[in-house]
Amino acid sequence: MSAALFGNKKMVLIIPLVAVLYILPQFLPRFQIYLMALIFATGLLATSLNLVLGFGGMYQFHHAVFYGFGAYAFALLAVKSGLPVWLGYFLAPVCSAILGLVLGLLTIRLSKLYFGMLQISLGSLVWAIIYRWYDFTGGDDGIHGIPVPSICEGSANAYYFNLSVAIFALILMYLIVNSPFGRTFQGIRDNPERCSAIGVNVKRHQLVGLTLAAFFAGVAGTLFVTVEGSVFPDLLFWTLSLEILIMCLLGGWFIFLGPMLGAGIIVALRSIVGIYTEYWTLVLGIVLMLLIFFLPEGVLGLFVKKHRSPKPIP
Amino acid sequence: MEFAANVTFSALVQQILVGLSRTTILFIVSSGLSLVLGVLRIPNVAHGSLYMIGAFLTYTVSNLFGHTLAGFFIALLIAPLGVALISFLVERCLFCHLYEREHLMLLLFTFAFTLVFGDMVKLIWGSDYRSLTVPAFLQGSFSIQGFPFPRYNLFLLIVGPLVALGLWLLTNHTKIGKIARAAAVDREMVGAVGINVSWVFAAVFVIGCYLAGLGGALVAPTQNITQGMDHSIIIEAFLIVIIGGLGNIWGALLGALIFGLTDSIGILIWPQFAIVFPYVAVVVVLFFRPRGILKSTW
Amino acid sequence: MKKAIWFSLALVLVFSPMVNSAQAAKAIKIGIVDCYSGPPATYTNDVRDAFKLEVDKINATGGILGRKIDFTTRDSKFKVDIGLSAAKELIYRENVDILMGTINSALALAISDLVKKEKIPFFATFSKSAKITGEKGHRYVFSITENTALAGKAGAAGLAKRPFKKYWIAGDDYEYGHALADGVWTNLKQLRPDVELLGQSWWKVGEPDFTPYITAILSAKPDAVIIATGGRDCVPFLKAAKATGFNERVPFFMHTATELSTLKPLGLDGPEGVIGTSNYFFYFPESDANKQFVADFKKAYNREPAVGAVYGLLTAKFIAQAYQKAGKVNTNAFINAVEDLTVDSPIGTVTMRACDHQATLPMFMGVTKKVAGYDFLTATDIVTIPGSEVMPSCEEIAASRK
Repeated sequence: MSAALFGNKKMVLIIPLVAVLYILPQFLPRFQIYLMALIFATGLLATSLNLVLGFGGMYQFHHAVFYGFGAYAFALLAVKSGLPVWLGYFLAPVCSAILGLVLGLLTIRLSKLYFGMLQISLGSLVWAIIYRWYDFTGGDDGIHGIPVPSICEGSANAYYFNLSVAIFALILMYLIVNSPFGRTFQGIRDNPERCSAIGVNVKRHQLVGLTLAAFFAGVAGTLFVTVEGSVFPDLLFWTLSLEILIMCLLGGWFIFLGPMLGAGIIVALRSIVGIYTEYWTLVLGIVLMLLIFFLPEGVLGLFVKKHRSPKPIP
Repeated sequence: MEFAANVTFSALVQQILVGLSRTTILFIVSSGLSLVLGVLRIPNVAHGSLYMIGAFLTYTVSNLFGHTLAGFFIALLIAPLGVALISFLVERCLFCHLYEREHLMLLLFTFAFTLVFGDMVKLIWGSDYRSLTVPAFLQGSFSIQGFPFPRYNLFLLIVGPLVALGLWLLTNHTKIGKIARAAAVDREMVGAVGINVSWVFAAVFVIGCYLAGLGGALVAPTQNITQGMDHSIIIEAFLIVIIGGLGNIWGALLGALIFGLTDSIGILIWPQFAIVFPYVAVVVVLFFRPRGILKSTW
Repeated sequence: MKKAIWFSLALVLVFSPMVNSAQAAKAIKIGIVDCYSGPPATYTNDVRDAFKLEVDKINATGGILGRKIDFTTRDSKFKVDIGLSAAKELIYRENVDILMGTINSALALAISDLVKKEKIPFFATFSKSAKITGEKGHRYVFSITENTALAGKAGAAGLAKRPFKKYWIAGDDYEYGHALADGVWTNLKQLRPDVELLGQSWWKVGEPDFTPYITAILSAKPDAVIIATGGRDCVPFLKAAKATGFNERVPFFMHTATELSTLKPLGLDGPEGVIGTSNYFFYFPESDANKQFVADFKKAYNREPAVGAVYGLLTAKFIAQAYQKAGKVNTNAFINAVEDLTVDSPIGTVTMRACDHQATLPMFMGVTKKVAGYDFLTATDIVTIPGSEVMPSCEEIAASRK
């Protein structure tokens, strides 16, 4: 399992990397700082998806629902309830987790592609509710000008905040993946029949995994609001879910930090290429195709040898 | 709002007929997707993009022939063939090397195509919307019990069953159809018997994409032809395929019927919430038949 | 290990070209964030093209205060997060002096919130939410376009003069559709208390088949229908109306039905007799200013200007003349100069009202008809509703902003 995160000797690489990230805002121009803060939020989201996708083998096709729901929960709590804003950082992910549990209970009886499609259906229903409930959620106008605690205000502060929360969440997720629960979870991915044969409650484990993934997606949602100060229904739309999926696959979905890298690549590519041409989706598409052809294990797959091949599906 | 306020028998009949013509388009597009997903096991997200290209090509060809009736039918013929050609090239050059990859990677690859096709359509046709006028013969509407029923919808009602019949004959009564069905279930065995599975797959892929193009061509006169068409159709198509059963043509028909009819009847009965009816139908179906109503190929 | 290092270096290199692309810092920089992909591009292209035409003209005579005007565009692809990111990039990296755009109201509101913090003027060029200059308005946001409140009042003013009593309301099920319908209906009820609402139908944005809705409406037998569709669904709805003969069975009103962008794609097969409102026709009024504008635009771009062109033109004029009046390139001075500034335009004089930063644009109501000489329908029986008649009062605005 240690090889999943670069291996123990590679901690040598991680610690300086984190240090560099903390120092970076001193040198980077304002836009890059903002972009990095956004990448931390998106990367966290992608990693939360990978919790069930890469480590759980579940076809989570509409993960964005939990992200958007968390963002909206944070926004609504900040704007409509009288509660202090910082409380939202704890309550919003819990709301996402509850949604994850509810949707999970409904979809868990199916598997693979059917699980994914039912999730899309139900997720689209959630999107439609938020989109239509204009009086409460602002409908397709979204909610803007969401107050954030003063320690998070401003590009540099948002950067540090997002970075710190993301690192903390990543450590938590890493511990979960490497815990006995996590190991069982991965066992279920590789061979669900054998697991249930030895007495593991497969469905219950998957449900817990789903809820956890939804929780961390909610955290990512709050980080998004910290940077952008707005929420809108796009955050729950299926195209975003597909994008996050791609971030995971791009970065390497069997490696813990793969999705973070994937998120970084996609967000950076989008912004940078967007400056030079309005056809940046074409560029993104071509880059994706090249990567799939030549780097099938995702970008990080170049560096980490796959010591176990994930079970081909179905 | 008023629940079932305007439900009269004639209104109901009218809505069912309209729902059926919508079913035609949904069926044609979904059957193509079902074929590709069922036989080749590729979740082709770019299926929607091919549908969009079919619509744009129809517009261009029809324009070339000056919007006459003959021009329109020529366009109906050529546009899907154009889409089939594009898909053939894509399959031979790119997809055939990727069949051994995992499904998620294939999904990712087809998604990359969605991005590429989307921008290419913008490059070639520009971003204005196009509107294709129906040739005079198909314009206007019949009056069914006092309600207007557009002639074009009737045209669709005729084309739909014809396509279904054609597909059924193809998959059940031609050699290639039978081979394809066998390959869907067990590709190694088919290869072992000496059949070139690769070419079979290419054929099935091209046919599936042809159907997407045909769907786009048929829908072109009724809608805005724009970028974004691909996004709206693809989710519906996937849901229909799932509830119908993967690789099952009749399943696609059944799924399309459920979708089209729940939508149009919902509009009559409860217009405020008509949008949710098809999704609720999907959820209900999956609850009782998690693997789809009819048999899937995998 | 080595690969990892090379890769990280590559990432850094990828990031750094973004550091400095600023050229001569002397130019006045304007950033446009808008959707240039898909259906909205029909409208937004006109905004940008007319803006460019006017800016080129200004630069040819030396620019403003001795400086050239420079502008750059970003495509938001109708996504709020992409658009917001692009707006931030324009402010943080390109250091624009002024922002303008966008057709997406949610994005306009998000950018409006952003510029409030960053203190950069933002001109909304096509977004129709009344909130932009209404309850969410502030010192740094301006609107050069009409919004649902204005359109509603204008539509109601026109409908009130007609004999219809029993109405049905139908439209796109999103904020714009509802706001527009509410705007028309509330004002109509005030002007004609005897009107009656029989019912409503709402379809999803991008609805592929309107026939079932049309038949449902027909079975209710209203005197007239108010259709509240957004840009994307206007053309398909009119097509469906023609195909089902809806326009011949029951009169209906659709905001922007008479606009060029809506009628041109339909060619000669558009439905006649549709009542519509619009901020601009290239064939009316037949003033010299309008004729000149149309001729210039046609020469440069080989097509007639649609309503977006007037918005683009107005934005350029307001920006140029405000800086000129302020005498220096300073944001505060600029904003003070823009308030209550009046410019000339093809549709007459337009003023930027100080209390809410909303431009007073006239609304034209007409009926679609086939007219010789054009291969698309045009508006006839055009009635001009002056901007002052449709604007909410300053007191109403102030009250909503509390």
